[in-house]
Amino acid sequence: MSAIRVEGVSKKFRLQTDKAHSVKELVTRRDRSAGVDEFWALRDVSLEIEQGSMYALVGHNGCGKSTLLRCIAGIYRPTEGHVEVAGRISTLLELGAGFHPDLTGRENVYMNATILGMNRKQIDRSFDDIVDFAGVGEFIDSPVKIYSTGMFVRLGFSVAVHVQPEILIIDEVIAVGDEEFQRKCFDHLYTLRKQGVTVVVVTHGMATVQTMCDRAIWLDHGVVQLEGDAPKVAQAYLRSVNQAEAEHSTQPITPVSIDEGVDAEPEPEPDTGIAAEGEHWGSGELRITAVVFLAADDSPLGVMPGGGQLRVRIDYESSEPIDNPTFGLAMHHEGGVHVTGTNTRLSNIRTGVVEGAGSVEYVTEHLPLLPGTYLVSVAAEDQFSQHTYDRYDLGWRLRVRQDSDKVMHGLVDIGGDWVLTPHRTIVE
Amino acid sequence: MSTPAEVWSYRTLILNLAQRDLKARYKKSFLGWLWSLINPATTLAIYTVVFGVFLGAVAPVAGNGTTRSFALYLFCALVCWNFFSGTINTSIAQFASSGPLLTRTYFPPECPMLSGMATVALQAGLELGILIAFIVIISNLAWTALLAVPILLLLGCFSFGIGLILGLGNIRYRDVNYLVGIGLQVWFYATPIVYQLEIVPEGYQKILQLNPLTHFVYGMRQTVYSQSLPTLGNWSMMIGSAAVSLVVGWWIFSKFAPRVIEEL
Repeated sequence: MSAIRVEGVSKKFRLQTDKAHSVKELVTRRDRSAGVDEFWALRDVSLEIEQGSMYALVGHNGCGKSTLLRCIAGIYRPTEGHVEVAGRISTLLELGAGFHPDLTGRENVYMNATILGMNRKQIDRSFDDIVDFAGVGEFIDSPVKIYSTGMFVRLGFSVAVHVQPEILIIDEVIAVGDEEFQRKCFDHLYTLRKQGVTVVVVTHGMATVQTMCDRAIWLDHGVVQLEGDAPKVAQAYLRSVNQAEAEHSTQPITPVSIDEGVDAEPEPEPDTGIAAEGEHWGSGELRITAVVFLAADDSPLGVMPGGGQLRVRIDYESSEPIDNPTFGLAMHHEGGVHVTGTNTRLSNIRTGVVEGAGSVEYVTEHLPLLPGTYLVSVAAEDQFSQHTYDRYDLGWRLRVRQDSDKVMHGLVDIGGDWVLTPHRTIVE
Repeated sequence: MSTPAEVWSYRTLILNLAQRDLKARYKKSFLGWLWSLINPATTLAIYTVVFGVFLGAVAPVAGNGTTRSFALYLFCALVCWNFFSGTINTSIAQFASSGPLLTRTYFPPECPMLSGMATVALQAGLELGILIAFIVIISNLAWTALLAVPILLLLGCFSFGIGLILGLGNIRYRDVNYLVGIGLQVWFYATPIVYQLEIVPEGYQKILQLNPLTHFVYGMRQTVYSQSLPTLGNWSMMIGSAAVSLVVGWWIFSKFAPRVIEEL
């Protein structure tokens, strides 16, 4: 049974570039059609959402996702086509919309739940759950204007999911909360779905789409690009995003040159992409002058294809002969996880006596990192790693993009394969 | 187009919105609810002094045959006027302030308008109660005073219809707000509130008779102050204007509100 059926929906907006805002203008303007531009936010969109399923709307900003959501929710009326909805809708287009800053959390919960269609008795019954879930504790009787953004958002979400909706419509709001709350939200959505609630989400998190959603639609400029199984749609969308990113990043993003003065903070060098961010220290006898990410053909890379060859070249310069310095490299995921760290000493490489300008390279044939952004740290130390000559912590961004259809979760591809063993049938 | 039945199914929301507005209105104010009495009392005092004392306006003898109170005579009319102007102003403010909510969740846009209406009606009821209390004090109470309730209900319908249209128009054209300020001022003096209809030259009386508010004010004074009944002409003007205003206002609002909301 389908909970939502959207048939051939188009939505036209009038973009009034020079809108008559006063009665006088209305009367005096001769040509009223002038300045009115039409804009199709949606073009002939059709979809069907099964009851009890989770459906995702994906696409870049301004692609018509929110307009579609509003059409489904009944806030907008389609210019063409029609929307059929079977069930009570709870919308979550903006968390805490309708919260009155001067009223207490309690008063606002009642208010908001009524807006979402609950009556007083139902709210009484769910009230404790709402407060528990939001985790606002004793603040429930304080005006919401003193709430932190997080509390505000949590309370708003909590109300929306506790109103026993049959259809829940969510617009990118979950992303606002912290990690723990997001997880809680998704857990709750999962529970709701098991209870037969139909969930429609707008999201930029492809992981969400792939792991949680049944089906998805990808919109671009109001036109359906693809509609179907969620993982497929997510992959197709990701591919197009990657392509676009690769086209845009013709200039290398990551390499860096460092100014002459060691103590000076490295200044951004526009022609070489970015300069080192993060912390930088060291005594300076040996200085790191540049870090460059190279592809197999020696061209500097902006975005790394996952699974491809990566070479990190560290250029250095020493003012005096240094015996067997240690060069090191570390990578952290932007989320903070330390992915890897190594140096020449741990690898038992003797670098010899170093003087003047030179460079070392760290080469990996198949970069096992999954798509995401990683922060690279680089260091030059003495042979015992006791003294730091020069060190940049989390100084460079390495972007890894998805290069195959293979989708995985986490940070690294440990390169395993699935092997099926024939199952045994138990015969009485 | 939202039908009255659909709007009715949202009655809890309407009441809650009204409750929220009332609660929020006097939060952090020392005198709180008293303000809703201080305002009309001040107006009443000013008009009584200026028109009754300085200009020497006199009221007819009240229904009990002995008392003559300009203040109460004026109060009858002010209850009507405050209800009318309150509805207009609240409707305008209400539609403007509920815009953000209306673009984020679906409910009939008539709901916040009705909730605004409810808060004004409450205020009118409060004022009527005080008026009746004074009427009792001067021992002028008669059963006809009961008719004040249907009169105010009709006045509510009349005001609400106009409020719906102006509330909608205000979003589209900001001039509405300014025009309403001036319009209300003119309308106030075009209604026999601070004066009696009878003192106006006859030609003008005819014109003032065309103003529906004249009949509401007259009806109120007849029933509450003079212990008598409004004329058939009054009743037909009151019922007719209320019906036309409400139907036309509702129709226009239901038809255009969704479009206006999309452009917010």
